[in-house]
Amino acid sequence: MSKELNIWLDNLLSDIESVQFQRRNSRRVRVDVGSEALPALLELLQGRASYVHLSAITCVDWIEDGQFELVYHVWSYETRSLVSVHTRIPRDPGVYLSIYDLYQPAAFFERDIHEMYGLYFEGSPDMEKFILTEWNGPPPMRKDFDGEAFVNEHFHWEQYHPQWLKDLEEEGGGITVRPEDVR
Amino acid sequence: MRPENYQAKNHPPSHEFELNFGPNHPGIEGNYAFKVKLNGDTVLSARADGGYLHRGFEKLMEGRLWIQNIALVPRICVPDPVPMEVCYSLAIEELGGLEVPERAQWIRVMQLEMSRLAAHLFAFGGHAATTGMYTTMFWGVADRDLILDRFEELTGGRVYSIYNIPGGVRREVPDGFLERMSSLLDYLESRLPDYDNLFFRNQVFIKRARDVGAMTQEQALKWGVTGPNLRATGLAFDVRRDDPYLVYDQLDFEIPTEPGGDALSRNLVRRSELKQSIRILRQVIERLPSIRGPIRCPIPNPLAWNVPAGESYTRVESSKGELAYYVVSTGGDKPYRVHVRGPSSMHAVQVLENLAVGSRLEDVAQIMFSLDACPPEVDR
Repeated sequence: MSKELNIWLDNLLSDIESVQFQRRNSRRVRVDVGSEALPALLELLQGRASYVHLSAITCVDWIEDGQFELVYHVWSYETRSLVSVHTRIPRDPGVYLSIYDLYQPAAFFERDIHEMYGLYFEGSPDMEKFILTEWNGPPPMRKDFDGEAFVNEHFHWEQYHPQWLKDLEEEGGGITVRPEDVR
Repeated sequence: MRPENYQAKNHPPSHEFELNFGPNHPGIEGNYAFKVKLNGDTVLSARADGGYLHRGFEKLMEGRLWIQNIALVPRICVPDPVPMEVCYSLAIEELGGLEVPERAQWIRVMQLEMSRLAAHLFAFGGHAATTGMYTTMFWGVADRDLILDRFEELTGGRVYSIYNIPGGVRREVPDGFLERMSSLLDYLESRLPDYDNLFFRNQVFIKRARDVGAMTQEQALKWGVTGPNLRATGLAFDVRRDDPYLVYDQLDFEIPTEPGGDALSRNLVRRSELKQSIRILRQVIERLPSIRGPIRCPIPNPLAWNVPAGESYTRVESSKGELAYYVVSTGGDKPYRVHVRGPSSMHAVQVLENLAVGSRLEDVAQIMFSLDACPPEVDR
C-alpha cells in the first residue's frame, strides 16, 4: 500500500512545481503548495490518484502574517491515506477560487468559511448566510474579533437585576434552606 | 397583528407554495429548519436553514485552556458525545507526543461502542416515531437509559461524561462494572429479536421506508456521505478499520453493508451495527482485566500546559459518520484554531436538500431521521 502511494505521489508531484511534501506517517501526507497551483493539484489528486473524498476545508487566520491558511483534507478510499493540502492567501482582499467543480462538499465548507472569516470564494454556488443570519458585525472567527469585549460592550449583564431577583434576595438570597437550619 | 388589520396578499395563481418546516416540529431532529417548496404533496425544492443551535464552540475553544475544552466538546453532538472527547484528546496527544497507556485505549473503545449503541437506539427510535410507530421510540429510549446508567457508574455523568482527557481517562473502571456491563449486553442482545419483530420486519415500516430518500453509491461519494449512510449504499468503509485508531486493529468485527441506499437500508445497517458493537464490547470485557497498568500517562500541569506547536488532523468513526478535528497549536496554553468536521454538516445540508427533492412531504422527516442528521454538529 505504502509503496503504491509513493509511486502515485511521485508521479503527481513531478507535474507541479513549487510543491513541498512531507510524509507524517503511513496514512497522513502534508503538502504545501502555492495558491495558484492548488486547484490543479487537487484536480490531479482526484483524477489521477483517487482522492475522491473531501473530508474538510479548514481556514486558519494568521493575522500577524496578514494571511489566511486554507487546508484541504482529501481522503482516498483506495490507498487509504489522507492528504492535507495547505496553501496561504493574503488576508486582504480575501478572495479565492472555489473548488466546487471538483468536490461538491466544498459548497458547505466554503459557505461556512465565508460566513465566519469573510473570505469570498469565486465560483461557489452558494455564499448566502447560513448560521449567522441575524448577525451584521464583522466575521466572528477572525482573530481581530474579540468575543468577550463585544459581549461586555453590548450586553449589560452586570446591571441585570430584575424584580424577581430582588424579591428572591429579600427572601434570603435564593437559598431555600439557610445554613443555620441545616442539622 | 390584529385580525382587522390583516390584508391578504395577492399572489399570482400558482400550484406551488412554500412551507416552513421546523424549527419547532416533531419531525425535525433538534433545532433545525427547512424551507420546502411544494406542489401538492410533492417537494419541488428544499433549503436547509441552520443556526438555531449555534453556540460558537470553535471561537470559545480559542479562548480556553486545552484542558478546559474537554468540558466543551461533548456538547457539540448531544446524542453521541464520546467520540467528540476522544477525537479532541487524540489530536492533543498527537501534538504533544503523548503515549496513551494500553488500558486507557481499551477503556476508550468500550465507551465509544457504548455511545454508538446508545446513539443507534436513539436514531432508529426517532425514525420509527416519524412514521407513527411510537412504541419503538419508547423502547429505544428506555434501553438507551440502561446504557446511560452504566455511563453514570463509569464516569459520573449520564450524557456528557467528560471522562477522556489528553493522555488517558480520568478514573479506573469500578469494581463489578464489567459484570454489570456483560449482563446489560445479554439483555440488549435478547432485545434485538423484539426490535426485529416490532420494527425492522414490520411491513408498515418496510413499505414506508423502501425507496424513500434513495441514493446510489456514486451520488453518495460525490456528496461526501460517510458512516452508516455510505455503508447503506454498499461500500464497506469504516474509519475504525480503514484508518484505525486506538486498538481497533486488534478487534474482530465486521462492517455491515446494504445495497439499497434508501431509508430502509440505512436503518438495517444500524440494526446490524448494534450487533457488531455488542460483539466488540464483549471482546473488550474479555480482554480488559488482563491488561494492567496505568489509565493515563503523566501530563504537564494542565493549567500551564504549553502544547508544542504544530497541527494535527484526527478522525474517528462516530455513530453518524466520519468525525474529524483539525487542531492548530502555536505553542501556547490555548489552541490557536480548532475545526470540527461533523459528519452531519454534509448529511443535514446538501445531502438532505438533494434527497428531499421529488419526495413527498410526509417523507421529509423520515429522510432526515434515516440520515441520522445531528443539527448541533452543523451549527457548532
